[in-house]
Amino acid sequence: MLELISFGEKGYGWLLVQGAWITLQLSFVGFAAALVLGVLIAMATLERRGLRWMAWRVYASVFMGVPSLLVIFLLFFGGAEIVRGLLAPFGIKAKLDMTPFTAGAIGLAIVYSAYMAELVRGAIQNVPKGQLESAAALCIPRTHIWTKVILPQAARLALPGLVNLWIILLKDTALVSLVGLNDIIAQAKIAAGSTKQPFVFYTAAAVFFILFGAVTVRYSRYLRERLERGQRTAQT
Amino acid sequence: MSFDFALAWENLPALLAGAVTTLSLTFPVMALAALISLPMVLARLSKNRLLSGFVVLYVALFRGAPSLILLYLIYNGMAQMDAVRDGPFWFLFSSAYFCAVVGFTLNHSSYVIEILAGGLRAVPAGLVEAAQALSLTPRQVFLRVKLPLAIRYGLKAYQNEVLIFMKSTSAVSAITLVDLMAVANEVFYFTYDPFTPLLSAAAIYWAMTNILRLGFEMIDRRLNHYLHIAGLSDRAGASAAAAEIPVRQNGLTRMFARLRV
Repeated sequence: MLELISFGEKGYGWLLVQGAWITLQLSFVGFAAALVLGVLIAMATLERRGLRWMAWRVYASVFMGVPSLLVIFLLFFGGAEIVRGLLAPFGIKAKLDMTPFTAGAIGLAIVYSAYMAELVRGAIQNVPKGQLESAAALCIPRTHIWTKVILPQAARLALPGLVNLWIILLKDTALVSLVGLNDIIAQAKIAAGSTKQPFVFYTAAAVFFILFGAVTVRYSRYLRERLERGQRTAQT
Repeated sequence: MSFDFALAWENLPALLAGAVTTLSLTFPVMALAALISLPMVLARLSKNRLLSGFVVLYVALFRGAPSLILLYLIYNGMAQMDAVRDGPFWFLFSSAYFCAVVGFTLNHSSYVIEILAGGLRAVPAGLVEAAQALSLTPRQVFLRVKLPLAIRYGLKAYQNEVLIFMKSTSAVSAITLVDLMAVANEVFYFTYDPFTPLLSAAAIYWAMTNILRLGFEMIDRRLNHYLHIAGLSDRAGASAAAAEIPVRQNGLTRMFARLRV
């Protein structure tokens, strides 16, 4: 049994590792893009009224109400046409191939940016108001207020939620195998098909997700300690 | 990039049939998960190390693995084992619907267990002590005091989980079950128009999640009635805070001051 997932001639070990690497790449790219997009949306929608707020409510409602698989399918099959349609008014004729990876990364980024924005906005609002007031009183430029004062402190508050979202996103990358990405699930499926041992390979893939999720949660502690440096904690 | 209304109308019955499959997967799984999570939570919180260890392992395994893998494992993996194939339950495991229900129940219930356990831990000790001091039996303390409060505490998290789970059922087409997502895909393969079927399916999914959300909000209003008394709602609080801010500030400060802190 173990021979099958070994790295030898008969084993499918390397195939699974390649798949795992693609899964990791996809989840890192998707997460980073979702985070950037989410922070930008959060910064733009701090005010609970106006056009931006309404636009955000529509965005959130749509992408939180629709399965991420559907968004990925839509981008994979129609993404090239959407981009063409968007660029046509500017006279740009773009020819673009949608690969499963790009469709997956963009889809995950769009869907998770909605959750991200919700989380980050909450964190920004929970940064003590005095921080902002003193920064404004010191005439610190606006960009510096954001990058040096507000966002680092918001990062500390948002971290538990971010770790949570990371785990959910990691598992959601499994769906991208359905549009043809050669990630760990697809490789496990290939190996299962040619050896008639699906149980071994699917278990191996499941163990990868469980272990990788557990490891990242464990190591997020170091990130937390770094973000919390200088914070006073109650002595009990 | 265009939406073909005639095509959407023509395929609406098929899409709605797919939506019925989605729902007929969602509700049984919700019911099953609710049924098994209560004894599992009791086991999780019990002093027996073996029992609580089992539940911790169960949650770690089935919450950590993507539901797609669980589906493959049960649908394709179980079929490969002779013990299952020759066993008395083969007629169950050979059905994609049954396998999907089992797979999603394992995944969904592990989240529900965590939510319920968190809710039970959040019940104030003073309330439990007061109940004990009134000589309620342990059973009464659990059923009349702890459980109702835990359900109220966990309702919002449960709502989120149910919505996420319902959307994740869109992966069942991988094990040949024809749900809403699968119908939309079929239409796409026939017509080669990705936008009409997928956007129609998106609209149906959107409607389903929002109806479910409204249902949860009704339950929430009923259970957490005391939190929704006028004057305590956050809108009133926000406008009261907004009235207090001095007028002349730079834009960013004003923006913040208007927010609830």
